[in-house]
Amino acid sequence: MARKLFLFIIAVLVLTLFTFECKRKRPEQVGDGKPKSKKKIAVVISTLNNPWFVVLGNTAKDRAEQLGYQATIFDSQNDTAKESDHFDNTIAGGYTAILFNPTDADGSIANVRKAKEANIPTFCIDREINSNDVAVTQILSDNYTGCVEIGQYFVKKMNKKGRYVELLGILGDNNTWNRSKGFHSVVDNYPELKMVAQQTAEFDRTKAMEVLESILQANPEIDAVFCGNDAMAMGAYQALVAAGKADKVMVFGFDGAKDVIDSIHDGKIIATGMQFPRKMARMAAEQADEYIKGRRDFPQKVPVAVELVTQENIDKYTAYGRQSEH
Amino acid sequence: MKKACKYAIAAVIIAFLVYYSVYFENLEDIKEQRRKETFSAAEYARDFWDNQLFSVLDKAVDVQKLIELFNTDMNEAIKKYGKAPGVSRVFAYLIKGNGTILTIAEDFLEVSIREPQTNPDIKITTGLYIPGNAVRDASGLVDVSDFSDTMKFNEISSEINKIVVKEVIRPFLDKKPQAGNTIRFFGATQVSQDATGAKEYQLVDVVPIRLELE
Repeated sequence: MARKLFLFIIAVLVLTLFTFECKRKRPEQVGDGKPKSKKKIAVVISTLNNPWFVVLGNTAKDRAEQLGYQATIFDSQNDTAKESDHFDNTIAGGYTAILFNPTDADGSIANVRKAKEANIPTFCIDREINSNDVAVTQILSDNYTGCVEIGQYFVKKMNKKGRYVELLGILGDNNTWNRSKGFHSVVDNYPELKMVAQQTAEFDRTKAMEVLESILQANPEIDAVFCGNDAMAMGAYQALVAAGKADKVMVFGFDGAKDVIDSIHDGKIIATGMQFPRKMARMAAEQADEYIKGRRDFPQKVPVAVELVTQENIDKYTAYGRQSEH
Repeated sequence: MKKACKYAIAAVIIAFLVYYSVYFENLEDIKEQRRKETFSAAEYARDFWDNQLFSVLDKAVDVQKLIELFNTDMNEAIKKYGKAPGVSRVFAYLIKGNGTILTIAEDFLEVSIREPQTNPDIKITTGLYIPGNAVRDASGLVDVSDFSDTMKFNEISSEINKIVVKEVIRPFLDKKPQAGNTIRFFGATQVSQDATGAKEYQLVDVVPIRLELE
């Protein structure tokens, strides 16, 4: 009897393993080994609740499709648990590569590792993960240096003195701190520039408006607001309009999003740091294609320079890039 | 059957005990954590300055030659001498030269490097803080891919700039330089590729690496 039970358990184990193994196989490898459909690329984006990331995701998807892949966008909604589900689905769904905009520099590492262990290469875009051996490559905005430039321009526009507020992005995102530290590496050298409040608005326009409204109640006399992204800059501007201070308080953003570029044109926002989401997304899709075709020598991190956009040089720029990119 | 049940219960108990007595961590995560805990940008910058940077100074290009090349063939200047850690329109250059101080401002010296020495060609930073990555990037010695997060890469630049202030600029200012003095220098500069032939290349900002009165 015991022997029968033993054999039964072994049979169940073998069947289970067989089922798992079948699930792991990618559709294009099933059967006679010839591809039966287009290879699939997943575009996993931290959030689609911000136009900048929509441009990033759509460009990556479009470029992957131009290169002959079937591409699907997954929205992580800034939630690492959702992101983890997307990675599980891409692994189970037979995707060939992942173009990935992480939600969390540390929290997203496990997801990329999971994909690597399933032999699916991951290409990070814009946001970084704090690891240099799980993704194939990471194409990143050089946020720190971009904010050093914004900091220098800020000091100039403020004439080295005044009171200002800083709105931070998501606290777990390296971009938040690279931007903030780049800015402060300049501004903190001027003792007459006083930061009266520093709060997170999580890269969100509505939160930025609410946070600044609250800050203005305690600190009605400010001269400038430095925002870690353009969505927050627009939210801050709205709060200043509502408080009747839009003409007196200078707003600085970061991203190069359409509404801020338009606002710089109109003289409402002072400056932003132009990131290049289309350029980064195209690069990631092209590198994934090269990887699939056999290339392996990718630099682990590729910083993409951020350019200062002001009312003086706005004519060189359009939303999400340079005029010359078109 | 009874025996099998006993074994199964024993196995479950053992599995339970083992599960709660031992935990597993990814080795890579532990290594990464250790790297994070032990990294010091200040120490890295110190080693860079003391042991690495001076070995590449012999590759510095004469600043007069470089400015001429900016104004005649920017692409050639970038190809031969420019360095950038990634995708950029701004390139860093390791330079050397000598010239005459024309004016001494709060944060910089205006220096003429060619005859007649009436117009400034370069601005040498002498402020007590230096932003940017000119020295780190111009050296070509620090690779961003070596760092698990780019903040470390940026902190290195900040620490290098502090060394420049403390060990190059302050000692130089202590010698009380005057307009009309001649100087000799090695330095780094960052220049955008955009305006080939424009006047902006007539006045290049230089972060000094060595700065001496002649």
